[in-house]
Amino acid sequence: MPQQPLIHYHVRWRPSGHQPGASRGIVAGIGDQLRSVVLLRDHPDPRRLDLRASVRDPFANIWVRDFNLNSALKVIVLVDTSASMGYVGQVNRMHVAQEIASQLALSAYRSGDAFGLFAAGEAMNKQCMLPPKANRGAWLWVNHHFSKLKPQGQHANGLFAAVPYLPQRRCLVFLISDFRWQAGKLKQLLKKMAHHDVVPVMLQDPAEMDALPKSGIAILRDTETGAAQFVWMRESLKKQMQNLRAQHVRNVEEASRKYGNKPFVVKGEFSSALLTKYFMERSA
Amino acid sequence: MNAIHFFKPELLWLLPLTLLPLVSYGVKQFNYPGLEDWPKDLLSDWLRWGVRALAVLTLISLIIAAAAPFTEGGTVIRVGEGAEIVVVLDRSGSMSENLQANDQSVNAKPISKIEASRKVLLRFMEQRPADTFGVVAFNAAPISVAPLSADRELARAALKSAESNSSGFTALNRALAMGLDYFNGRPFTATRLVMLVSDGDAVIEPEDRVILKNLFRQYRAKLIWVYVHAGVEKNILSSVIAGDNEYIPQAELDQVEINQNVAMNRLFEDLDIPYQAFEVNSEAGLQQAVAEIERSTNKPTRYEYRLPRQDYAIYFYLLAMLLLGALFWLKQIEIRAWKP
Repeated sequence: MPQQPLIHYHVRWRPSGHQPGASRGIVAGIGDQLRSVVLLRDHPDPRRLDLRASVRDPFANIWVRDFNLNSALKVIVLVDTSASMGYVGQVNRMHVAQEIASQLALSAYRSGDAFGLFAAGEAMNKQCMLPPKANRGAWLWVNHHFSKLKPQGQHANGLFAAVPYLPQRRCLVFLISDFRWQAGKLKQLLKKMAHHDVVPVMLQDPAEMDALPKSGIAILRDTETGAAQFVWMRESLKKQMQNLRAQHVRNVEEASRKYGNKPFVVKGEFSSALLTKYFMERSA
Repeated sequence: MNAIHFFKPELLWLLPLTLLPLVSYGVKQFNYPGLEDWPKDLLSDWLRWGVRALAVLTLISLIIAAAAPFTEGGTVIRVGEGAEIVVVLDRSGSMSENLQANDQSVNAKPISKIEASRKVLLRFMEQRPADTFGVVAFNAAPISVAPLSADRELARAALKSAESNSSGFTALNRALAMGLDYFNGRPFTATRLVMLVSDGDAVIEPEDRVILKNLFRQYRAKLIWVYVHAGVEKNILSSVIAGDNEYIPQAELDQVEINQNVAMNRLFEDLDIPYQAFEVNSEAGLQQAVAEIERSTNKPTRYEYRLPRQDYAIYFYLLAMLLLGALFWLKQIEIRAWKP
């Protein structure tokens, strides 16, 4: 695994935790954003003495500044482990998911944020469950557990069961999947997680979209249902196919937009720099 | 139309195996995440069934070809001028005696009677292309050498292989019976001739005469005795044909009377069957005999010609090859790796 730069995720909302971190929070504490000016009596910290306010006060009270705590985020990764995630095209889809999760775990630790992970196929995978906390070895845990994960199941409805395990307060949720779900499932899930900041990470393989064979005959087998489809690839069918896949991406985008999110599409290998760029664009 | 037979019908039990292509796909499979939105493609569906049907047809035609279907050719009745002739060839010891040569030159080589008659018979066969020949050779016992058939090569080979072999006794009656037996079970479509080629020297017991007579009656056959004549022997016809130019003294005639050959001639006449005798020791005698036989066999022959059976395996093999070619082409356009 080549060393990738850290992911600098950035959120526009304020986390409410009391754990010091990198984001501007909403609780009082040590931070870089002025919260209010209070009496020294209430906040006995003479280091934050506000001279200007104290001198201006006709009652000669002594005022100190109060700041918002720079608090830690909670970064949660939800991984779809249905059978379609085991697809191996030009890249191994599960390896890509593992790479994303471990890079996020590493970056979260470096930012002082908590990292948690839940995996679910048809049912939630209780063996592969990491409650969110600041965890130095989380990326190792991810690598260890993902190597034992077997993608199976015809749908990813277990993700709904994973939602109650998420922290009650708003946190940053990465939803890693190929979103080959039934129509409406994504909207339902996003609705359930509406109070979280959800980043749908959409995995794609060039082999299923851009890099289709030009011509020839073959049989395609659905990794989830096992249904077989005889295909005679030719230019018209290829174009039809690409249109449908593009339509699928648009569907995911549309469902996400409804809940204020924008999917991050990973084509082939994962690049952490692209994810950083995604966050910069999103915050702008 | 004739019914179709199979040379190896047990191979047809393999036919259920031809359903195998309906079970397996036969084309390389690739995993694909999510086919639920795959476009409905009629052409692909047709080709899918086409590939299966092609594979099934290939297997069927291969198995049928292996089972070798054929139809019996049947028989065709042809009409020709001719007769069914059974040559009953004497190969007793006396037939190896040299024939009297007409030219007395030094170059003339003496030939045996059997050799001469063989030559004569071969030439006779050449002149009679429409006839059906069968050959029985006999000395002490008759040998069925060539059955009565249109196979001219067989009869010719049978005649060529007949060599004189002395064993003292000549089973004439049994040879004639065997020759007559050739007509057994054959439709009476042509004049039937039993052509005895012999130099005589045989006796037929009175009880056998009755049997022979009945057999000749039964098969409606005609007897022709081609008498192979050596110089020293007497002309058998002298007793029948009167009014010859040459003068034959009564004493000599008496001697001839007791001659066995003459007795044989008489005997055949007494059999009360259609009978002719020819004396052959020269070209002229042969011509006469042929002309005589032609005259007696002017009745058209209807003979059965067996057609060879029709083999259909080759067509099935050709079909299988064509289908295999198509399958090969499909295999060529098969996607081996899912990439552009």
